[in-house]
Amino acid sequence: MDGRDRACRLLAGFLAGDLDPAEARRWDEHLLECEACWRAVREDRAGRQAAQVLRQPAPAGLADRVAFAVEMAAGAPAAAQRQARPPARVLGRARHGRWLRWRLAGAGAVAAGVVAALLMALLPGAHQVASMPAAVAAVARYAQVIPPPSGEQHPQRAAPLQVGRPVTVMAGGQRIVLRTWRLGRTEAVVAVSSTPFPMPARATGVSGRGMAWSARLGRLSLYCLNGRTSELVAAPVPATELAALAARLPLA
Amino acid sequence: MGADHRVFLEATLPHMDVVYQVARQAAGDGQDAEDLVQETYLRAYAGFGSYRGENARAWLAAICLNVARSQARRRRRRPWEVTGSGLPEVLPLSRADGREGVADVADVVIAGLDAEEVSRCLGRLPEPQRVCIVLMDVAGYTAKEAAETLGCPRGTVLARVHRGRRRLARLLAEAGVAHGRS
Repeated sequence: MDGRDRACRLLAGFLAGDLDPAEARRWDEHLLECEACWRAVREDRAGRQAAQVLRQPAPAGLADRVAFAVEMAAGAPAAAQRQARPPARVLGRARHGRWLRWRLAGAGAVAAGVVAALLMALLPGAHQVASMPAAVAAVARYAQVIPPPSGEQHPQRAAPLQVGRPVTVMAGGQRIVLRTWRLGRTEAVVAVSSTPFPMPARATGVSGRGMAWSARLGRLSLYCLNGRTSELVAAPVPATELAALAARLPLA
Repeated sequence: MGADHRVFLEATLPHMDVVYQVARQAAGDGQDAEDLVQETYLRAYAGFGSYRGENARAWLAAICLNVARSQARRRRRRPWEVTGSGLPEVLPLSRADGREGVADVADVVIAGLDAEEVSRCLGRLPEPQRVCIVLMDVAGYTAKEAAETLGCPRGTVLARVHRGRRRLARLLAEAGVAHGRS
């Protein structure tokens, strides 16, 4: 360590309040006389003040997105938890409520487990989700919060509008990117993975579409297309409408 | 991956804001800060079994920086630009009135703070200095936490952050003068 290095470390220590009182007093006196060191102090303060302008609060909803991804990685009964709470867009504005929920979850794990089990039992198609391949079940759980199509009429040729941000999850060893789209009077989830989504036991192959398959899960219809990537579309619409809906969505 | 995800989230989600600050600055070209935060939490959850209760903020920041680096390596790009050339200790400034002189860098910087310019100049710092500034001044870590994150002595962090701040101030002053401020 040369003299300049040592002086830099001492000054940095002085600015951090690390020096003992006697040494700090010597620096105080030195700064009154030494223009170069005084400039260094002012530059240090200016640099710190400048860097602080880069602080920006995390976007609303990021905590929910992260929590959901972790839930999926853990294979938790996310569907029950998501059904019991409002959509992420609302939650982003109600972070306090989320914290309370997490605390309650931590404090009353047993009670929450019972509630979750009941909710799972009451959810339409929930028992089927549990018996599905993990990757397909993850998409279904994510899509189960989509509200039923509204009665309101929208132009038939409405362009798809992405809702929220993509969520990436790992399920069944597959990396899956989930996007929610609003199209006309309904919303749909498009899940994309580089690994084909396994065909569930009760699914049916779609004739003329190679490895495509479709399945029904409670009020959800699932439609899977396999090409360079595998795309699984899930929406609360009749199975007969889903292929047409998928054709209008921006798949990978 | 057998750890209780609720315990994990309760221990780590309170620190998401600071992890996001680190991710915003660590994300390289083509990287999204929110994706980086999510990947950080997934990696942290995967390693939660071996977490021994050390400082969670420092632990998460270290994971975030590692994820940013490894993703950047995969993209064959560096998220942190390192410039070899040093700035002069005292910056000769061309003043708006045409006179040459040694202006007060601090005054120039404080007079014209602009987040985009700050971000650009921060990107020109050598990585060790940049990381220390991001951890301490942007994300609000203490020097001890930054030292824990980076696995180096606290004194080294303080020296790096001091050099980095001065360099940042001089770069900003240079940019400010170039834009006609003095």
